[in-house]
Amino acid sequence: MAKPEHYVIIGNGVAGGEAAYHLRQRDQASRITMVTVGRLLSINRYELPKLFTEPNLDWRDFLLNPPEYYADQEISVRRNTWVTNVEPTKRQLVLRHRETLSYDKLLIASGGGRHIPEILTQYRDLMMKFGTYEEARSVCNALPKGGHMVMLGGDMIGLDLARALVKGGFRVTVIGKDFLFWPHQLDPDEKESFAQVLRDMGVGVITDYGAASIAADDRGPAVRRIVLASGETLDADVLLSFCGLMPSLAFLAGAGVDLERGVLVDPHLQSTDKNIWAAGDVCQIWSPEEKQYRFYYGWGNVKRMGQIAAFNMTGGDESISTFQDERLVVTGSGEIDSPYWHYGGDSGG
Amino acid sequence: MTQRERRTIHISEDEDFSDSHSYGQRVVTPVRYSTDPRDIGWVKENIPCQVACPALTNIPAYIRMITEQRFGRSYELNRMANVLPGTLGRICSRPCESKCRHGWPGNGEPVAICHLKRLAADYKSSGHRINESLFAPTGKRIAVIGAGPAGVAAAHDLSTLGHSVTLYEREERPGGMLGYGIPEFRLPRDVLDVELQNAMRLGVQLKTGVEVGVGKGKLRLSELRRQYDAVLLATGSMEATPLPLRGLKNDAPDPARKLGDVEYGLDFLVDLHRGVPKKVGKRVFVVGAGFTALDCARVARRLGAEQVTIHLRTTEEYIPVEKDEIFEAKREGIVIRGLRTPVALLTDAKGKIRGVQFAQNRLGGWRENGRRAAIPIDGSEFEEECDTLLVAIGQRTVNDYLDVKLELDRWGSVAIGEGGMTSRDGIFAAGDYVHGPTTVIEAIGHGRRIAIGMDTWLMGRERRKLVVKIEPVEKPLRERSFDFIPRQHMPTEETASRFGNLTSEVEKGFALDGAYEEAKRCYLCYHKYTIDVDNCIFCRACIEVAPRDCIKLVDGVEIKDDGSYGELHQVMRWDQVGAIWIDNNQCIRCGACYMVCPTKCISITRNEMFYQDV
Repeated sequence: MAKPEHYVIIGNGVAGGEAAYHLRQRDQASRITMVTVGRLLSINRYELPKLFTEPNLDWRDFLLNPPEYYADQEISVRRNTWVTNVEPTKRQLVLRHRETLSYDKLLIASGGGRHIPEILTQYRDLMMKFGTYEEARSVCNALPKGGHMVMLGGDMIGLDLARALVKGGFRVTVIGKDFLFWPHQLDPDEKESFAQVLRDMGVGVITDYGAASIAADDRGPAVRRIVLASGETLDADVLLSFCGLMPSLAFLAGAGVDLERGVLVDPHLQSTDKNIWAAGDVCQIWSPEEKQYRFYYGWGNVKRMGQIAAFNMTGGDESISTFQDERLVVTGSGEIDSPYWHYGGDSGG
Repeated sequence: MTQRERRTIHISEDEDFSDSHSYGQRVVTPVRYSTDPRDIGWVKENIPCQVACPALTNIPAYIRMITEQRFGRSYELNRMANVLPGTLGRICSRPCESKCRHGWPGNGEPVAICHLKRLAADYKSSGHRINESLFAPTGKRIAVIGAGPAGVAAAHDLSTLGHSVTLYEREERPGGMLGYGIPEFRLPRDVLDVELQNAMRLGVQLKTGVEVGVGKGKLRLSELRRQYDAVLLATGSMEATPLPLRGLKNDAPDPARKLGDVEYGLDFLVDLHRGVPKKVGKRVFVVGAGFTALDCARVARRLGAEQVTIHLRTTEEYIPVEKDEIFEAKREGIVIRGLRTPVALLTDAKGKIRGVQFAQNRLGGWRENGRRAAIPIDGSEFEEECDTLLVAIGQRTVNDYLDVKLELDRWGSVAIGEGGMTSRDGIFAAGDYVHGPTTVIEAIGHGRRIAIGMDTWLMGRERRKLVVKIEPVEKPLRERSFDFIPRQHMPTEETASRFGNLTSEVEKGFALDGAYEEAKRCYLCYHKYTIDVDNCIFCRACIEVAPRDCIKLVDGVEIKDDGSYGELHQVMRWDQVGAIWIDNNQCIRCGACYMVCPTKCISITRNEMFYQDV
């Protein structure tokens, strides 16, 4: 009897979770292991802004699948586990505690972490994070009722949070000289026009100046004073950075898999190693139409990538559609809408 | 083969200790200097930082001196191998750090070796005196052409060997790429000038503004060979590699030299440092992936460019530049874009650059130099706008200044033998002039090795040799807790203060507290831990306390052809064990085994390799 394939997935976000589901559907006999640095099972991070409008929610409400699902599907989830190296020639991962984990096929779905512009990295410890349930809960606890959140950048993840906060009665100011509406690419006039729509939605937007310095404040552990390049100051109850995503792939350095800013993959999501695929925010996909490698963001894209990767890891031959409608629009009710905000449907079938 | 003397301490003089039966007593050997290939082989295998350094700098020794607050001594230990320590402490490419044992998987981050080198130079006392050891005058006269790193290092060494050296340099000041290619915000000129002067103080006669060549007013190489007993060519690689645009024939004029606001990065920097005022536009493109490209980009920002983009053929992962420097460039607002090859230059009606046409690349296979090939994709062309283009895709050597025919290798560089001699008797070559553009430390290392080769040829015997000094160490000099100290980071100038001038140094240097912590992180790999198998009682206490798999049960050790120890034959069964053996390759010198051994059968020696006058 042939040895069952062992599929290992690094990352348990939407892409990794979707891939795990489809791998199980297509290969019942296989072993599937998900490795994640997180302490929780897969959560839908796109829904985290709900914490501000429905404060009684807890982590169980954000799980993509209940714990029993993993037992039923025989998917092993290694939480709080860090991959330090990938050794493609040996087909194994090296974990931080020095265990090695072998695989037959590997999916990198490690996603992206917050990108902080290099000019502001010295202030990184003064910025709260929002990538996990625990981090989102900390922000929620630190922001007082009606409090003021300042966001650096204003990417679509941040603006999704901003619109939820405004609806919840909080104040939001976005310092959006750079990264406003990322990853949408807008010319200056378009950007200013959409920025005005944001202001009409109740979000404060500064587009002329960036942050020059940030300091802690005695009034609270999360309180910050931001000095703009104009000299003007802003006081924040909490400060977050939403300047786009940086793919999490430090563990792949030196592995021999082609990287640029992300993992370089073909439209089948296969990397330059025949046993390694990538899906989600971590991969740069070759676009035959545009003849360049590019990222595709958003819940819908990421979910689809997980599905396609799983299909191709099990012998399929499906390509991701690389023509995407990525326009930012203004709805009939005068609000901004983006395809990156289109969430919906359960993950995993 | 040298004989080992073995004697013990704490035993009376008339006791016969020839068979070393000294249970419970340390076995100590006196200091000795060895040229035994096994001892040199041990150093090469176990001190990865020193071996990675092209100048063979005794890194653990100088870092240890910092923990002892002996900055002058640390500086001198550096200077024994690299005659410009304060300079290299700022701009070295640090091949040692990528090999540092502390950076191996599972051990954390490498030691900040280069920053510590700078610290020793900065903190040595103002009254510090340079130590030099001088041979008697030999009566030999040597001409060195080129006062760059290789030339200065060779000139210094040749003068200490007793020769009369004249150093010819075509620019107004010495330094080569150090003085003309590296911006002051990375390498302050006062630091460089003092060290260059110190290197030449022993009687090197420096003649600047003198060009060797075949034209009017130039000195001919053939004439120099007649006047001097030997000549060293160290003229570097100071010509920019032309930009290979699509469809350009070999003999066509180089558009990158014809167009306004397009310049080769090397020429841009050399002119800048000659005092020629330079201007850039608001939107600057830099094409290239090395130190010169990064320097051009950072200079452009300081000259007022608002948007500076570096365009790479491959990706950031393969740039041969320190990650810290890439980070600082990004902090200064410089954007890096990968996977593109420039294929055409776009001009406006006035013939000035208005943009570049690129082709998208994909990554190809591995090249000989460890980098990746970049393969342009057909039909993937796209255009981007700029108003200034700086091209820094490489440098090459030129031989057109020679009036003596020298044999060249297959890359067009002068061919040399083992001692550095070219195909003409008495004409030697060193540094980038031989190898093509490398790094400053490689040039220095090569310059010094060729100086030894020249001296051997002139004097008929080897007068400077590689030796290993082996001396006992009384006890471990580190604690296990040192292994958990995080790597200290270099403080830098606030980004807002960096612009508007080209001289404000970006890296500020370690403060002393941070430096001591960083110095403690060094494992001191020059310490060799050895178990005396005759006195070991196989209690395994050392294995129990070892933090890694560094003490092994073996039934034998491979003996290589040169007599040195090779692979360990490990066993798992207790009844097959021949010895308990410390694998120095895995050992992190924490000293735990030494402290716990009940029979004191573990000894430590310090093994320092350096060139010694003989």
